[in-house]
Amino acid sequence: MLIYAINRILQMIPVLFVLTVVVFTFVQLLPGDVIDTLIGDEQAEDPELRKALEEEYGLDKPIYMQYGIWLGKALQGDFGKSLITRRPISVELFESIPATVYLGLVGIGLSIIIAVPLGSIAAVKRNSATDYAAQVTSLIGISIPEFWFAIMAVLVFSLHLGWLPSSGYVSPFEDLGQSLYYLILPALAVGFRQAAYTTRLTRSSMLDEMNKEYVDTARSLGFSEPKVIYKYTLRNALIPTITISGLQLANLLGGTVVLETIFAWPGIGQAIYLAIIDHDYPLIQAGILVLGIIVVCVNLLVDLLYRVLNPRVALN
Amino acid sequence: MSKDETTHNPESKTGPTRRQFLGTAGAVAGAAAVGVSPNKAEAAKRDPKRGGTVRFATRADSRGLDQHRNYYYYVSHPLAATSMGLMDLNLKMEPVPGIAVGSEVSKDNKTYTFSLRKGATYHDGADVDAASVKWNFERILDPKIGHPFVRAAIKDFDKMEVVDKWTIRCHLKNPSAVLIPNVTYYPMQLMSPASVANADNHPIGCGPFKFKSWKKFDSTVMERFENWYETDAQGNALPYLDAIVGRPKKEDRVRLTALRTGEVDLIDNMSYADATGFEKKYGDKYNTWDVPQVGTGYIGFNMKNGPMSPKNPHGKLLRQAAAHAINHEAVHQAIFNGLSSSAPAFYSKVSPWHMPEVKRPYEFDPDKARFLIKKAGAVGEAIILTSRDAYAYMHQTGEIVHAMLSEVGLKVQHEIHPYSVLKQKWQKGEFHLDSTANSYRPDPDAWYGRNVYSKSATTKLRTGYVNEKADKLILEAQQTLDKAKRLELYQAVELMVNEEVPMLYTHYIPLLEAGVKSLKGYSPAFAGPYSTQGAGLRASWMS
Amino acid sequence: MASTDLQNGRRSIEEAIKPPTLAERMARYRLIMQDALGELYKSKTALIGALMLVSLLIVLLLTPIIAKYDPVKQDYTAFRQDASAEHYFGTDRYGRDIYSRVLWGGRRLVSIAIFAVIFGLAIGIPYGVLSGYYGGWVDSIGMRAVDGLLAFPGILLYLLIVTLAREWHLEGFWNDLILIFALGFAFFPEAARLVRSSVLIEKQKEYVEASHTIGESNLYIAMRQILPNCLSPLIVNATVRLGFVILIIAALSFLGLGTPPPTPDWGADLSAAREHMESNPMIAVYPGLAICYTVLAFNLFGDGLRDIIDPRMAER
Repeated sequence: MLIYAINRILQMIPVLFVLTVVVFTFVQLLPGDVIDTLIGDEQAEDPELRKALEEEYGLDKPIYMQYGIWLGKALQGDFGKSLITRRPISVELFESIPATVYLGLVGIGLSIIIAVPLGSIAAVKRNSATDYAAQVTSLIGISIPEFWFAIMAVLVFSLHLGWLPSSGYVSPFEDLGQSLYYLILPALAVGFRQAAYTTRLTRSSMLDEMNKEYVDTARSLGFSEPKVIYKYTLRNALIPTITISGLQLANLLGGTVVLETIFAWPGIGQAIYLAIIDHDYPLIQAGILVLGIIVVCVNLLVDLLYRVLNPRVALN
Repeated sequence: MSKDETTHNPESKTGPTRRQFLGTAGAVAGAAAVGVSPNKAEAAKRDPKRGGTVRFATRADSRGLDQHRNYYYYVSHPLAATSMGLMDLNLKMEPVPGIAVGSEVSKDNKTYTFSLRKGATYHDGADVDAASVKWNFERILDPKIGHPFVRAAIKDFDKMEVVDKWTIRCHLKNPSAVLIPNVTYYPMQLMSPASVANADNHPIGCGPFKFKSWKKFDSTVMERFENWYETDAQGNALPYLDAIVGRPKKEDRVRLTALRTGEVDLIDNMSYADATGFEKKYGDKYNTWDVPQVGTGYIGFNMKNGPMSPKNPHGKLLRQAAAHAINHEAVHQAIFNGLSSSAPAFYSKVSPWHMPEVKRPYEFDPDKARFLIKKAGAVGEAIILTSRDAYAYMHQTGEIVHAMLSEVGLKVQHEIHPYSVLKQKWQKGEFHLDSTANSYRPDPDAWYGRNVYSKSATTKLRTGYVNEKADKLILEAQQTLDKAKRLELYQAVELMVNEEVPMLYTHYIPLLEAGVKSLKGYSPAFAGPYSTQGAGLRASWMS
Repeated sequence: MASTDLQNGRRSIEEAIKPPTLAERMARYRLIMQDALGELYKSKTALIGALMLVSLLIVLLLTPIIAKYDPVKQDYTAFRQDASAEHYFGTDRYGRDIYSRVLWGGRRLVSIAIFAVIFGLAIGIPYGVLSGYYGGWVDSIGMRAVDGLLAFPGILLYLLIVTLAREWHLEGFWNDLILIFALGFAFFPEAARLVRSSVLIEKQKEYVEASHTIGESNLYIAMRQILPNCLSPLIVNATVRLGFVILIIAALSFLGLGTPPPTPDWGADLSAAREHMESNPMIAVYPGLAICYTVLAFNLFGDGLRDIIDPRMAER
């Protein structure tokens, strides 16, 4: 297990290398450069100013050297400053990543809370009305454009029912109660959608488990049906569910840009999206790299967790 | 509020009159005169009944905190309330005394002497004295720091002289009669020199509200500045409000919902579809305001190269054809839901620079347009129309203009881009028409001098229009103090612009705000700033 | 599936490695088709999905005949009209016929989705097969590159590619191509991984060894013998992906990076209708329903296929 983990961690290095190269290439391919972002209309023609700024930002060096310098600094945690706000990028990231992780975690948590009961009831009562209802709900959940779903949720729960605030963010460290209150709507928007996938997965892995020999054995030994199902079957069926939820979480980091925009949620998705629009090159590079590292780490954790939960895989 | 009515008279050579000096500076100046250290808190008490916190939702968030690096349309961003300049603006869009209480201009229009308000301080307690103003202007003039829009306003400065602690003299390279409007709080904001190291994180200005915190995409919190010099008619200290909290909410629907659920007290940029009928339906619960003359939409033509430019002998015919092809009433209905008004000239009725005699020379006439295009031999000519993504009305107008031009026989391609990309397209001349708009030009020199005058960087970047006669008139107006005379000069320029169509004005852009009834004393100001003399959030309170 | 069983074990080595004649192949395909239709009736979800898709395709094929208006034609005498005999679905803010826009938009959108998925498969399949088949360092490098792309968080990869395309002045047809490229490119790592894992299982089977002994080329074995046996999970995945692609296009439209106007596009039209949600909600309803219907159809069909193809999920 330890050797496996070390091996996996070592494998992360080339993955992240690929990621940095891809991001750096993309940024180079964007028309215009840092200087165009920095200086406005009226100075566009001043060659001396341009030259001075090129030197300041190291743009006079060949591209591979720029990449090397950037990577070297990034490894030391120095991502430079945003070209737009001129604040250190580490500050910008530190402000926005937690909000996204918070939304993602609670959203995924909600999706599990919705999906596991729904999926297992659907499996147990296979082909019943409940099963079809669960399947249809979950399918509809992934058939609606997410921005539409979110806006409708605001209109229904906030404007018409008046149950929840429409948008905004309160840090959980400031006021946990308020924070959760503001979180419900965006987290539901995340959770409902992800639950659609998870419900279907739970249902199929439950069915899978229920066809296994040990279930029959347990039944023949006289265990009660609920015990068979909820103690043994569900426990095993949850392994893939948890795995997939972990992967979903990784995918949500940076995937919530639409919801962040609608719910005025100050997360990293909005930050990187605006950085792309504004050509805030250092922020694009750093943001994607840091998110990539988190994604890779989450994937690793999920993988290791899977092995802990399911020792058979490790033996293979 | 009597003092608000005493406005700076642009025709006067000496700037603000004595009456204004006493009126605006009020008790502070009096205290200074008898040698008492000016303590505003003692001089003017707050109105005990007026206070509260206004939470307002904006479409845009601030994009950085350093006031000199200033970004586009800053004036409508929450932070505008933290800054002040030598001059202030009133509701009529005229410059009025701000930090400077008096100004004197030399006969040759080349030397301006400003006397500063004694006792005005930055939020860190430092005096807003002549040395600090000089430092501010010098920092703005540094091309690596000052935003070009800001810098251009004072780029003609030759040198600055600190006469005494409260007097600064500015020497210009060329005569100018338009310096006063150029040193209003936007773009010429003053910040405390001591705060420069932390300007990107915690700006310290000298405006009516103090910066407290900014969280990107989340909130801007500002608190009342207790040493603000302004008072109301009864002598109560302004501002009334204890604090203001700005929250960017980009999605129109969410912003409006936040107002209707009581999460915020004030919103800007209501969508036109929502605004239609809102007052009728919800007028009992909310006030709505039409912000005066916020901007003018226009189609800019590429006069540097391509079929629309003078390089093509039929370029003018094509521009006229485009003007004839555009159905302004359709734009008015489709995009602005009937809330805008047609713009034959840049300045609308609410501006002191409105020109009622200027009429649209080329009215909507698609047959004429087709005829002209045929005459120019340009049927099926490939044309690129660009528009900006950030403002819906710009690309929506683009969309409708695209259809109208296609209708009369041009082969139009419409591209929507963010500013960063558009800038490059303009530079390289990779466009033929551009659907855009302009705002915050309180003084006409800021419009004609930046966007029509051929040697200005903006003109060069965008249309590339060159008209020597117009240039001459604009330069002459720059040095003319008499307002009526200036208006005449600009009107002559406007007639040329309308005739030659380097730009085709389309509509005065409506900007709509809505707020709760308990927000009192609020009237929105020009270009939606939260800070206007005796108006905006500076003079409002929550009941 | 029955044909799979036939190939895998029961035939002799001779039979297994003999290339099938054309007649045999046609017969096999016929068998598969009959088989498929037969199977389809066994899964209600697949059947419903298939019916929905077939009717959608018929409508989209008939679009040039049944659409009454030019979808980009603006009518300045008919802004924001309600449904009528003239305009079945009413008109939008520019007086364009929504019914015609929905039809034409669907034709384009569904084609883009299909081509994007095909493009993703076209890169992903050979990539995955070769990586899995050769194994060793080829596999290591190949999979690290794929991991690097998968570490791109959420929607950001699309954002980058589409931004690039837009800034490179690609419009009209080229814009569609780049959308296809972006969506397909983002799908390829997933397809590659999926194929690879099937190949890893498949290549240990005896028929592969047999082919080796009689000296078949590696490429032949990988692409002609192993690949056909790995396709089933891919087909399911690709079907579900079709729906996903349509939602991604809608999300890009919300962010202002979708199809440039005036081209009819469900996502862009739905996004533009946000402003009228309270004043003229019907403008939004039709493109919104069209998206939901299509995505739901793809999901139902894909889901049903999964039930049919995956024997463990057999509900018989």
